[in-house]
Amino acid sequence: MARAYASAGLSAVEARPMVLDGPAFDRAYREYAPRLRSVAFAVLHDRDGAEDAVHGALMRVWGGGTYRAERGALLPFLIACVRREALDALRGSKRRHLREVRASAGDPLAFDDTAALDPLEARRVRAALETLPAEQRDVILRAYYGHRTLAEVAQDTGVPLGTVKSRLAAALRRLHSTLSEGPR
Amino acid sequence: MNHLDDDAELYALGLTERERDAEIEAHLAECGDCRARVIAAEEAAASLAAALPAAPADAKRSDAVPARAATVRRAWWPSLAAAAAVVFGVTAAAEGVIAQSASAQLARTDVALTAIASSHFGHTTLTSDPGVIAKALYARDGAWCYVVATGAPRGAHVIVHRGAAARDLGALDAGAPATLFVRDPGRPDSIEVVADGRAVAHGKPAF
Repeated sequence: MARAYASAGLSAVEARPMVLDGPAFDRAYREYAPRLRSVAFAVLHDRDGAEDAVHGALMRVWGGGTYRAERGALLPFLIACVRREALDALRGSKRRHLREVRASAGDPLAFDDTAALDPLEARRVRAALETLPAEQRDVILRAYYGHRTLAEVAQDTGVPLGTVKSRLAAALRRLHSTLSEGPR
Repeated sequence: MNHLDDDAELYALGLTERERDAEIEAHLAECGDCRARVIAAEEAAASLAAALPAAPADAKRSDAVPARAATVRRAWWPSLAAAAAVVFGVTAAAEGVIAQSASAQLARTDVALTAIASSHFGHTTLTSDPGVIAKALYARDGAWCYVVATGAPRGAHVIVHRGAAARDLGALDAGAPATLFVRDPGRPDSIEVVADGRAVAHGKPAF
């Protein structure tokens, strides 16, 4: 899988610990920003907010020197950082009301690969999702594509929180093995 | 620290407690098994992310102001219609009509929409004369106020009070429902809809 994220231009960036380094930042940013922005935008529905989340996450990673090559490929790591940053912004006071409104209005749980940033990968993900047991697929849709907290998923589905956690973790493990084995 | 177990996947999805992040990363630096598990989970999460739609087209922040208003409007349209429906739908079924028309009104009011989309707002149902239903939405930072009323006499004004001072924000429009959107009303203690020198609706926002 990791090879999917490696790109010739970035191998030099990934090969050494991150330090606050203008050119490296700029290069990775230009390479990854569209995907990172889509991660943040999906959560926040606001372009400037998404941009802030991407910047915040990158500055934290670069400034803190928290990334090392053994920590895995850079892009999945950054995606996880950006998503955490975006969820934090969403859960911060600024947008809490809108999150509540969205949650109570019910976001669509549909997985829409027609609008996907990466249509090929989206199709692969859809196929992988379809191989999951229904309750695992449901928790992925709610927690990942619906941006619900675990507590909200538990509340919405009436499933105990501990079960929600273990289902989601199992779903992600299963997705990983399906996606690793499946044809690209 | 113990192994991460299911938290390895939850961490990759951003769903662990944020206070634990540093602890988790410290553990990952020490523990190859948990690291491998988190890396795998992050790869799966990155695949999930590939299926997300692209963010709206790139623009430099410096020239983003007009474009931003348009984007915010487009991005928030369904959510705000829903927001209005929820905000206005919280009270009795008798207010179903105002809920529906108020959300339509909101959707038409671009300037209100943009302001609402970018700020933290509260809402209050005003205590009204029989036959009048009025609500106020307001930014918690006092940047704007939006009053929606049905059944208020035509040309009624919205008056806000702060301490001993009263300020006339202007007249509700002639729409059904009648609305008034005002920027920078501050944070009044109370909001009134006044017709012929008498308050037909009044309430207190909670900032």
